[in-house]
Amino acid sequence: MSGRTPWPLLPFVAVVYLGLLAPLVVVIAVSFGPSAAFAFPPTGLTLRWFEAFFNSKPFVTSFFRVSLVVGLLAAVLATTLGTAAAIGLVRFRFTGREAFETFFLMPLLVPEILVGAALYLFYARLAIHASVLTLLWSHLIICTPYVIRSVTAGLVGMDPRLEEAAKSLGATPLQAFFKVTFPLLRSSLLSGAIFAFIISFSDINLALFLSGPESTSLPVHLFSQIQWEGDPTIAAASSLQIVIIGALILLVQRIFRLRLMV
Amino acid sequence: MRGSGQRMGPPQPSSAPSLTLPRFRGREGWGRRPLWAILVGPYALYLLVLLIVPFANVALFSVHAYSPTKVVLPELTFANYLKIFDPYYARLFGRTLRLGLVTTAICAVLGYPLAYFLARARPRVLALGLFLLIMPLMVSTVIRVFGWIVILGRKGMVNQALVAVGLEPVKLLYTETAVVIGLVNIFMPFMVLPLMASIERIPPSLEEAAQNLGASWPQMFLRTIMPLSLPGLISGCLLVYSVSISAFVTPALMGSPRERMVGQQIYDEVLVSFNWPSAASLAITLVLFTLLLLFAALRVTRRAGRLEIRQ
Repeated sequence: MSGRTPWPLLPFVAVVYLGLLAPLVVVIAVSFGPSAAFAFPPTGLTLRWFEAFFNSKPFVTSFFRVSLVVGLLAAVLATTLGTAAAIGLVRFRFTGREAFETFFLMPLLVPEILVGAALYLFYARLAIHASVLTLLWSHLIICTPYVIRSVTAGLVGMDPRLEEAAKSLGATPLQAFFKVTFPLLRSSLLSGAIFAFIISFSDINLALFLSGPESTSLPVHLFSQIQWEGDPTIAAASSLQIVIIGALILLVQRIFRLRLMV
Repeated sequence: MRGSGQRMGPPQPSSAPSLTLPRFRGREGWGRRPLWAILVGPYALYLLVLLIVPFANVALFSVHAYSPTKVVLPELTFANYLKIFDPYYARLFGRTLRLGLVTTAICAVLGYPLAYFLARARPRVLALGLFLLIMPLMVSTVIRVFGWIVILGRKGMVNQALVAVGLEPVKLLYTETAVVIGLVNIFMPFMVLPLMASIERIPPSLEEAAQNLGASWPQMFLRTIMPLSLPGLISGCLLVYSVSISAFVTPALMGSPRERMVGQQIYDEVLVSFNWPSAASLAITLVLFTLLLLFAALRVTRRAGRLEIRQ
């Protein structure tokens, strides 16, 4: 039994999931297959495309020196910016608070491709050249709202009596916050940071405009390889990304005891 | 309505596509110290400099004339916006809005049963179901599109299967159908998550009541679940529509070069033909349209939230 869904609907649900997962399953299968023409199902098992991936300088650079580095830095910086903003929004009453809340959702409302184009034109006007840095600070725009959401949810869901208890025992409001509430926020911070990393790591719409020759991110390199009909090295690099992201999401799900926060 | 004195609800699942932040319903904060400005200020400033100013710059480009040699001429003009009614651009927008509608409709039909299944699933099934829904969403669009290229390509899985049973291979990739398949696949979670949140709030006792009064399951679904989850459906549809009309990667890799969408046109005019004023006018038009849709979705979500508090 799976809840209240009547059984005739279940095959339908299964088909939708099949459609959702098919492209990922196919990519992983192709990356282990010997055929350079992406034959599916694979006729054998080989690691040669992974070998090709690690031997290809453009792939290794875009994966490890651009995407991974930018993703990790973006996660750290977005968590700092976003946590501060979330605490300010939840714990203070000031005029214009709701306006700030809506403003902080803007990066999620504006289509990413247009954010990319707008930043490209902005940097062009200021004659700033594309580099890993332009990519990093552009990613911060779209990563931070995820941290704000996660930390806000953590703060809102917390029992206010814990902090009151600390205060009644003589702690100042700030002490009570930093000694009681903040440590309890760790899981929200971590999940916010993980999502910030994932958003940066898998972003293509901004990176298409903001990657320079020295700062091509993995998705952008994949994009051009697909256009030029490259070999299953594309699939090998993709499989690595799928595995990393899958593992991170599992981790977030563990932190939140089965309830997924995005 | 909001503010202190409200019951503390359980922490809501805030999902990527939902548009509102959870609200603090505990006791008072830290009063009126200006500390809030130090906390909220940095990101607000950041967005001002790297989101608002760049879009103001785009708006500025959009009202200037294009010159093949200098990119932008100093004189002001509205020609870039009027040009959108030219046959080429009108067709471009028409196609984009149409593909968005088809994608949204398919997502709604396929997403409803899935959303219901998840909303009424037991915790373990729900955890697995959400994982399988969110994981693909988080993987880069390029990778998911690449998977579809392998499936639908000239020598792809589908065509190999057709040949194996003695049929002629068909052209699937680089068609509008392929684009719609890709868009539906990529944006399905944006439909399912708000719908699921909406259905979850409907007490199962209402379903039982309807069925005890003699409604069959489909009748119950149409007359109880559908009307009560309408806010979720509306915000899911607006979300899917707004993200599909601004899609770039999917139509660029899966569509025909002759049947393009607005996102591709903007990309080409910015990076290939350097007609920045024209790209800017398209971008401003698209962003205003999208924001209009999403603020409508935001209102629907917030109103639904308020109604719930009143009950």
